[in-house]
Amino acid sequence: MLASHQDVFNIVQAKFLAAEVVKSIHLNVSVVDGPSINSDRILALVEYNKSCALFVLISSRSQPISFSDLSIETVIPIDPNFSCETEPGAGQHYVILIIKYKQSRFQYNIEIGKDSCNFAAELIKSKEGSSNTNPNNNTWLEKYFGTMNNSNRNSDPVDQGELVVIRDGMVQGQTAINRESMLKYQLKLKEPEFTQKQEFSIFVGTWNVNGQPPTVSLRSWLSWDENPPDVYAVGLQEIDLSKEAFFFNDTPREAEWQKFVMDGLHPNAKYRLVALARLVGIQLAVMVNNQHYRYVKNVSFDTRGTGLLGMGNKGGVAVRLELHNTSLCFVNCHLAAHVEEFERRNQDYKDIDTRINFRKSPHEIKDHDQIYWLGDLNYRITDLNTSQVKTLLQRSEMNTLLKVDQLNQQKERGRVLVNYIEGDITFPPTYKFDLNSDTYDTSEKARPPAWTDRILWRGRGIHQVSYRSHMDIKMSDHKPVSSLFMSEISVVDPSKYRKVHEDLLKKMDKHENEFLPQVTVDQAEVTFELVKFREPQFKEIIIANTGVVPAEFEFIKKLDESSYCKDWLTIMPFCGSINPGEKCDVKLEVNLETDLETLYDILVLHLKGGKDMFITVNGHCQKSCITQTLSSLVRIQVPIMHLSKEELASALNNQGPIYYSVPRELWLLVDHLYRHGLRTRDLFESCALHEELIRIRDWLDFGSKDQIPGTPQAVAETFLLFLSYTKEPIIPFDLQDSCVAAANNFENCRQLILQKLNDIHRTAFLYICMFLQELLKYSNDNGYDAKTVASLFGDILLRDPIRNSKPQASRGKTNFVYNFLMNDLSSSLIPK
Amino acid sequence: MSAGPYNYSYIFKYIIIGDMGVGKSCLLHQFTEKKFMADCPHTIGVEFGTRIIEVSGQKIKLQIWDTAGQERFRAVTRSYYRGAAGALMVYDITRRSTYNHLSSWLTDTRNLTNPSTVIFLIGNKCDLEAQRDVTYEEASKFAEENGLLFVEASAKTGDNVEEAFLETAKKIYQSIQDGRLDLNAAESGVQHKPSQPGRNNLSNDQQANKDNCAC
Repeated sequence: MLASHQDVFNIVQAKFLAAEVVKSIHLNVSVVDGPSINSDRILALVEYNKSCALFVLISSRSQPISFSDLSIETVIPIDPNFSCETEPGAGQHYVILIIKYKQSRFQYNIEIGKDSCNFAAELIKSKEGSSNTNPNNNTWLEKYFGTMNNSNRNSDPVDQGELVVIRDGMVQGQTAINRESMLKYQLKLKEPEFTQKQEFSIFVGTWNVNGQPPTVSLRSWLSWDENPPDVYAVGLQEIDLSKEAFFFNDTPREAEWQKFVMDGLHPNAKYRLVALARLVGIQLAVMVNNQHYRYVKNVSFDTRGTGLLGMGNKGGVAVRLELHNTSLCFVNCHLAAHVEEFERRNQDYKDIDTRINFRKSPHEIKDHDQIYWLGDLNYRITDLNTSQVKTLLQRSEMNTLLKVDQLNQQKERGRVLVNYIEGDITFPPTYKFDLNSDTYDTSEKARPPAWTDRILWRGRGIHQVSYRSHMDIKMSDHKPVSSLFMSEISVVDPSKYRKVHEDLLKKMDKHENEFLPQVTVDQAEVTFELVKFREPQFKEIIIANTGVVPAEFEFIKKLDESSYCKDWLTIMPFCGSINPGEKCDVKLEVNLETDLETLYDILVLHLKGGKDMFITVNGHCQKSCITQTLSSLVRIQVPIMHLSKEELASALNNQGPIYYSVPRELWLLVDHLYRHGLRTRDLFESCALHEELIRIRDWLDFGSKDQIPGTPQAVAETFLLFLSYTKEPIIPFDLQDSCVAAANNFENCRQLILQKLNDIHRTAFLYICMFLQELLKYSNDNGYDAKTVASLFGDILLRDPIRNSKPQASRGKTNFVYNFLMNDLSSSLIPK
Repeated sequence: MSAGPYNYSYIFKYIIIGDMGVGKSCLLHQFTEKKFMADCPHTIGVEFGTRIIEVSGQKIKLQIWDTAGQERFRAVTRSYYRGAAGALMVYDITRRSTYNHLSSWLTDTRNLTNPSTVIFLIGNKCDLEAQRDVTYEEASKFAEENGLLFVEASAKTGDNVEEAFLETAKKIYQSIQDGRLDLNAAESGVQHKPSQPGRNNLSNDQQANKDNCAC
C-alpha cells in the first residue's frame, strides 16, 4: 500500500511532458517558517533540452496517488541567476536548503539522508551546467508559471519578482477554481463510498508541571497502556513561569520538555512529531506512529492568550490535522485560576473556542470531525472546605464531590464546553499536592483538592477506553491525567478513491456533453417516389430537440461543393433554432429539370456547437424526351418510354441509326401548332395549367393513338419547355458568342449556321425558324411581329448556361434570330 | 452552447476514422462516459464529444469528432479531416478486411490533414482474443512502417482506451512545445484560447447558400 520513492518519482514524471525529464526528486520537504510544519512539499529537478529548473510541488495528500494530486507551487529556473546553499536545520537530522533567484529567496527543510545527498548532487551538477546555457532558454517553463497555485500567488515572494509570466489563459482562472471546488465538494459528499472506518488509538494527556524542569521519566504516564497508541496529543501547562517566558514567549524548557515527552512515548513503536505548539507555558505536542505519518496532511496550529492583556500566562493552543480522511483538532488550555473565578474560566473557554483560527480551511475548532479538549481547566469544588472534601474522599464518596464540581455544574448550565462529553471520573482530584508526595496541600493556604485537569471530546466515532490520573509522578503539585480513546478514522481506499474521483471527473465531462445540443431526425433516409420532369414532390422530415439547450441547426455545404444540396432539391427552412422539447418540420422539395437516372444526395445537418447528422435523399427518375439531346432523340423512333433499356442506352450514347432529320417530338409539337395554333392569339404567352403540361409531356413520352391533349397554348408552352430544357441548347453555348457577334449581318449568320452547327442542330434550328416564319404570316390573327418572336426565341434557342441568369432578352441574340425570321432560308438548307 | 464552469488552455480537435462497425463510437463513449455502449447504432453523421484532460499541468479540452464509417459517407466525412490535430484510426482485430482498408484510410488522413497531425492506430476489440484475425505483430509493423502510434484496445473493457486518447494529446502538446505545430495556422487543429467548439473543417462560408434559398 505504501508507495515507494520510485512510485512517487513516476507520478511526478507524469506531471511533466515526456521530453521534460525529471532528474531527481526529494520528498517530505517543508517550508521554513511556513504556517505549518507539514512536510508536504516535493522538490523536483526537471531538465528539458539542456535547460533545468527546480519545481516545488505540493501534494494534496501525503502520498500522491496520481499526478493530479500534485500542484506546482513554485518554479525556479536553474540559470546563472540561480544559487543555492545549505544551513544546519532544526535538530541534527535536518538541513535548510536556501535557494536564491534574483531577489527571491526560498528556504526548505530537508531531512539528511541518502535522498538528500543524491538530490543535492544533481542540483549542483545542474547549476554548474547552467553557466553555459542561455538564460533565455527557459521558454518551456512559461506554461508552468501559469499553473502555479493561486493560493501562493500573493504570499510567494517570487510573484513580486520578474519570474512569473501570467499567460492569457489564466484570465479564466475563476472558472478553473469552480471546477476544482465543485470536485472537492462532490468528493466530500461521496466520502463514504471510498473510505472505511478504522479504529485508531489516540492517547490524550494533560499535566500542569508547576514550572518545574523535567527530571523524571514520563513513561508511567505516557506508556501506561499495553499497546502503543497510534496518535499522541500531550498537553503541558506551566512549563516555564519565568518573566522571560512570559514577555518574550521564548523558553529553553520547550525543547527540554519535548525531549522528555518523546522519550516517554511507548517503547514498542516509533513516533514522529506532527506539530508542536506553545504559548508561554502552555505546550501541545501531537505525534503519530511512524507508519501513519504519511497519511497526515493539512497540519496547522494556532494559539490564543486569554489572561492579562491576552498575553498568554493563560489561554489555549490548538493543533489541527487530517489523519487519512478525518479531521482532528486538539486543544490544550490553561484557564483562569481561583475558586471564585469560574465565570472567567467560562469566558476564557469561549475566547479560545471562537478565536483560534488555523488560517486554512477549516478555520475554526468547531468545524472538525473530532475535537479533543484537554488541559488545566482550573474548575474547583464549590461550597465545601478542605477538610470536608478530604473527609468525603476518605469515605470514597466521589460522586458527592463530583456533583459540586464547577465544571460539571457550568457544563450542565450550558455555560462551557457545550456538547462536549467527559467520561466518568474514577480518579481522585489531581490538585493540589505537596511536591514529591501524594499528600494534598498541607500549606497555610490548604487549598481544597479539585479535578482541575480534564479531558473532554466532541465528534463522531470516539470511544473512551480509559480516563485516569497518574499518581506516581510526583514532581508537580498536579498529577498527570490521561485518556485513551479508540476513535474511528475514515481511511481512504486508494483504488475506490481513484474510481470515485475519476467517475466525478467523468460526470463533469458528461455533464458538459449533456449540454451539447442534441436533436433527432425522424428519418435518416428520405426516398422519393418516381420523380418526373417538372413535377415537384415534397417530403417532410421532423427535427426534434431532445437535448437540454436550444439547438441551432443548419444544413451545411460539403467539401468542394457550392451549395448545401443538389440543385434539384430545395430545403425549407435550411436553418433555424429549436427549443428543447420542440420540433421543426423541414420540407424537402425535389423538382427535376435535368436528365437524371436517380436522385442521390447526402445532406449534412449541423448543430451549432454540436454534432452533424447525415440525411440521405434518394429517388428514381422517369425519363422524358424533354432534357435529352437532339442527337439522341433523332435516333428514337417511338415514344421514349417504349424503348428497352438497351435501345435507350444506345440512343443516349448517340449510337445506332438516325431515323429523323428533326426529333420526332419536335415535329409532333410543331406540326400540331402548325395545324391548330397559327391563328391563336398570344400563342406563347398564355399560362397553361400544370396538369395540362404533364399530360402533354406524358403523351410525348408514352405515346397515344389520341390527339395531343390540351389547347394550342399548352402545346406551345410545351414546345418552349422542350427547347429550353434540351440537354444542349439548339445553338450550343460555345457558338453563341460568335452568333451574337455576327448578328448584324445575315450572311455571316447563315455561314455560321452552315459551317459551325452540326447537321442535327442546324436542321432543327432552320425547321423552327421556318415554322416561325410561317407563324408570322398570321400576324393579324396571332398578334406577333418578328421582333417579339425573335426576342422570345433568341433567349431560348441561344439560352444561357445558367437558367434565368439574365432576365432581360439579349439584343444580340434577338438580332441573330431576327435574321432568320426575315430572310429566305431555302438556300440555307443545303450546306455548301 | 453552454461552456459550463470549465477552464482550459487548449482545444485539440480529434477525428476518429475507420471502417463501419470497428467500434469508433464505442471508443468515444468509453472515453467520455467510461461506459461500454452495447447495441450502439451505426453513426449516421458525425458525433461530437468533449472531455477535459490534463497534460503537463495544462488543462486541455479534447473536441472529438466521431465519423460515420459507412463507405457511402466517405466523401462527406472527408470534410471533417481538415484541422484535426489528432486522428484515431481504428480497425477491428477480428475482421481482417477492416485492417486491409487501413492504407486507404491512411491515405485520406495524410492527404487531408497537415503533417503534424498525430495519427494513432487502434486495434479495437482486443477482448475478443479467440476471434483474432489480425496479429499484434503485423499491425505493429504496419504502424512502425508508417510512423503511427499503435495500441490494441477494447472499448468494451476500457483497456488502453484512455491511454490512446491521452498519448495522442501528449504527442500533440509535445509538438506545440517543440514548435513543430504552428498554433496560428488555422488547420493546426489546436486553439490556444477557450472558445466555442469551432469547426474550421467545413467551408468557412456556410452562410453563402443557394441563391434561390427561401430563408
